[in-house]
Amino acid sequence: GPEELALLERLLGLPKGNKYGVQGERKVPVLQTNNGPGLTGLMTIAAHLVKQAKKDQLLGSTAEEKAVVQQWLEYRVTRVDGGSSKEDTRIILKDLNVHLEDKVYLAGNIFTLADILMYYGLHHVMVELTVQEKEKYLNVSRWFNHIQHYPGVRQHLSNVVFIKNRLYTNAH
Amino acid sequence: MGFGDLKSAAGLRVLNDFLADKSYIEGYVPSQADIAVFEAIAAPPPADLYHALRWYNHIKSYEKQKASLPGVKKALAKYGPADVEDTTGAATDSKNDDDIDLFGSDDEEESEEAKKLREERLAQYESKKSKKPAVVAKSSILLDVKPWDDETDMAKLEECVRSIQADGLVWGSSKLVPVGYGIKKLQIQCVVEDDKVGTDMLEERITAFEDYVQSMDVAAFNKI
Repeated sequence: GPEELALLERLLGLPKGNKYGVQGERKVPVLQTNNGPGLTGLMTIAAHLVKQAKKDQLLGSTAEEKAVVQQWLEYRVTRVDGGSSKEDTRIILKDLNVHLEDKVYLAGNIFTLADILMYYGLHHVMVELTVQEKEKYLNVSRWFNHIQHYPGVRQHLSNVVFIKNRLYTNAH
Repeated sequence: MGFGDLKSAAGLRVLNDFLADKSYIEGYVPSQADIAVFEAIAAPPPADLYHALRWYNHIKSYEKQKASLPGVKKALAKYGPADVEDTTGAATDSKNDDDIDLFGSDDEEESEEAKKLREERLAQYESKKSKKPAVVAKSSILLDVKPWDDETDMAKLEECVRSIQADGLVWGSSKLVPVGYGIKKLQIQCVVEDDKVGTDMLEERITAFEDYVQSMDVAAFNKI
């Protein structure tokens, strides 16, 4: 919600001053603007902030990258925020682990808004994973550890520890 | 440190394992460390070494900016897992062959001086070739770990075995093999450095888990 958008603003180097509210039961964030009803929705506001900060490359450069970024933003809002049962979480981690097998970032070789919002969205999940689970979803762990070390991303969020010497090497 | 011989399949496997939980050779940004290792590799790693391949393709995307990446390129022996040596250097020795004229000059008649110089160089080449870097002796061992009965929790037994940590010991894949009467034995692979870990030590530590392990045998032992 608004707290996450504040983190994003700081990461983007935007001055403070934007006013946020929430709407409805599901607490959808709203960015209040001078004229009109305001911008609604996490993805919409986040993309708007990126453009405000003139960091459009965070939305992807090629058509394919842009599409992949949108795919994961949508995933974040519909699957990560939408479902929260153990089974939902297991499926999300499995999806991500497969997708990240051959990629450093969600969109391939470049860091984008998809990495940022998926990191914030999954932080509460990663914090709770056991050592075995972190090894099971090895690619997710690698990606999460990389993103939390990306300058400006983690801020006050807790650092999730991933042990260096894996216990279950070659466990696939 | 090092990855073994990066021009060999074994070296690429070490690199692959190293990169399973890392995006870069050092730290969290691409640096000269990645370039140093990238340049030591002859071709893209095979598809089954997918961590190494992921890293390779990612570093390749920085090809144009490689000169401006942070850090300083160091010798391969400065990177990678602490308990492995770099033996890729063996390949670079042969590069010097090009400088040594082994078959003499075009001129059929060699002057005494030229002959002496040539023989001197040959002697140098020979002595350099004989000083190859030491290779760490390793063995691949397949162990059979037998439980007391068919009610023993094999998952817990495996966890106990894998919890055994030692310098020069790396656990590999495993499987459960039925031996009759509903009992299954755990067959597990490991790679050991011969001068650090022996089968006696492994047997002692594995059979120490008395609640789960009845006995341990060496099913296969191969020098790598």
